[in-house]
Amino acid sequence: MFDLISEISQSLRTNRTRTLLTGLAVAWGIFMLIVLLGVARGVVNTFNTNMGGGQSNEMSVWGGRTSVPYKGYKDGRRVVLKDNDGPMLVEQVEGIAEVVPTASASVTVSTLKDYSSGIEAVYPSAGKEFDNLVAGRFINERDIQERRRVMVIRDLTARRLFDCAPEEVEGKTVNCMGLSWTIVGVYHHRWRGGNFVPYTTYKALTGFSEDASELKVLVEGLATQEDGDRVERELTEALAASHEFNPTDKNAVWIWNRFSNFVQSASALKILTLSVWIIGIFTLLSGIVGVSNIMFVSVRERTHEIGVRRAIGARPRNILTQVVTESIVITTMFGYIGIVLGMIVLQIIDYFMKNSPGEKPLENPTVDLSLAIQVTVVLIIAGAAAGLFPALKALKVKPVEALRDE
Amino acid sequence: MITLKDINKTYPGAVPLHVLKDINLHIDKGELVAIMGASGSGKSTLLNILGILDTYDTGEYFLDGKLIRDLSENRAADLRNRLIGFVFQSFNLINYKSALENVALPLMYQGVGRRRRNALAMEQLERMGLADRASHLPGEMSGGQRQRVAIARALVTRPAIILADEPTGALDSKTSKEVMQVFRDLNAEGMTIAIVTHDPGVGAATNRIIKIVDGRISEDV
Repeated sequence: MFDLISEISQSLRTNRTRTLLTGLAVAWGIFMLIVLLGVARGVVNTFNTNMGGGQSNEMSVWGGRTSVPYKGYKDGRRVVLKDNDGPMLVEQVEGIAEVVPTASASVTVSTLKDYSSGIEAVYPSAGKEFDNLVAGRFINERDIQERRRVMVIRDLTARRLFDCAPEEVEGKTVNCMGLSWTIVGVYHHRWRGGNFVPYTTYKALTGFSEDASELKVLVEGLATQEDGDRVERELTEALAASHEFNPTDKNAVWIWNRFSNFVQSASALKILTLSVWIIGIFTLLSGIVGVSNIMFVSVRERTHEIGVRRAIGARPRNILTQVVTESIVITTMFGYIGIVLGMIVLQIIDYFMKNSPGEKPLENPTVDLSLAIQVTVVLIIAGAAAGLFPALKALKVKPVEALRDE
Repeated sequence: MITLKDINKTYPGAVPLHVLKDINLHIDKGELVAIMGASGSGKSTLLNILGILDTYDTGEYFLDGKLIRDLSENRAADLRNRLIGFVFQSFNLINYKSALENVALPLMYQGVGRRRRNALAMEQLERMGLADRASHLPGEMSGGQRQRVAIARALVTRPAIILADEPTGALDSKTSKEVMQVFRDLNAEGMTIAIVTHDPGVGAATNRIIKIVDGRISEDV
């Protein structure tokens, strides 16, 4: 092995310029592949964040107004969802695991310093979206049972209402609906901004109305977009029967089918990632073809040397190993330079994304170890392929013919 | 050492070229032989067959008692490495390797360790009077020195025979004489040597001259 490394090192040093130019083509190909894959990863991460993390198994349902007459009712009738729609949907629609009603109200949440508009009355399950609380906790079961006047607010709201760090807000109070509420938690979210209170507390303060502004429907055991579409259709039909509207009326209830959206988007992202790989591989391929081309030239230039080596006892395997290994060394060495440069560029992009205000089109656009290993495997295979054909060509030349080649 | 029986060789082509015709030849161990002939007579083809660099069509070739026929590339490489030492007109040294590395190269293909093969290569360079040139590249040496490096490389595996193809063809007359003296000294130590040449001066320095005319042995004296 030491002899092989020494031989390759001598050969590469003898043809420095050629080695460098060939290697740069490979480094560029790998650099592009890494950057493209990192950017694609960033797009996927952004998408996942915007989808609310792990809440892709959720559908949201709001009541609307009918747009067609139905069973003697005129069009334009308001459909008001009820708390008891939940158990009915769980019973009638296969795939629905849980339905949690929520209510929202346009009331003012205020302190002496500032105010915020609106509250959302929720159950503890709504907290799944806010797994990285800045301080405190989300609404819990005891809050629901005891109808506590507690509230969970966004970090930006906390800063505005109390003019201090969000971490210091826990335990402080705000005024809402003429009452004092204790802040028990502060959350961070890119785009959600609600002030959350226990559902039962809100209901008690509003005369125990059974109206719900939104139903959060949790689905389970669904795999395909067809499953998601079926649940959406059956859910609409069940609500149509219960609230007496035409099941084909698109305006009677509004449904945000996150599950189907997620499946569609996940499929699109898979295509995006695949496309990036294909583009990257083709970019890399141009580098590999360059290596192969150079190896052909190298083998051609060294035909006489190969003849001499064979005359003094080199076996075909020795020649094959040297040419292929030389190719792998060039490809891998410069490929790693490409990987490192690509990672540096991705880190720079990541730095600017993290420190820039507003919407971030790319979130954490980096490549991980498994991807680096995949790219390395691609490099070694590509390098071996680039060297194999020139090596086989070299072996086809008889020693006596190779010796004549000057 | 070498026995050829009715060896024939034809190069295929639009007009097939029958270059060796019924060659019968025996070279004993310890001989210093010149194979002479005009350009195109077939002497280099004969040397290539003797060196297992080329194949023959019909006949039999025995080298050191072994029938040389239908060999695999690996077996042929092995026999070339262990039994034959080549010396070429244009030296055929590898330009980017030092004299020592060039001489040690055949041992590398035998799997001899670096330290051992460098020691053996240095022995041969000392024998050729080139110990002080061991680290020099071929381009930094004279023609005579390069040819002596090539002879050292041919000797390093302790082969059964040395085959030299116009070894003085690229050298001036003084250096040619020095190189021929090296061959004579080696022969005096018992080495079998066959030299292909068209130079009568080289032929005169050997003990036996085999003349080839138009693919046949015309004279063996």
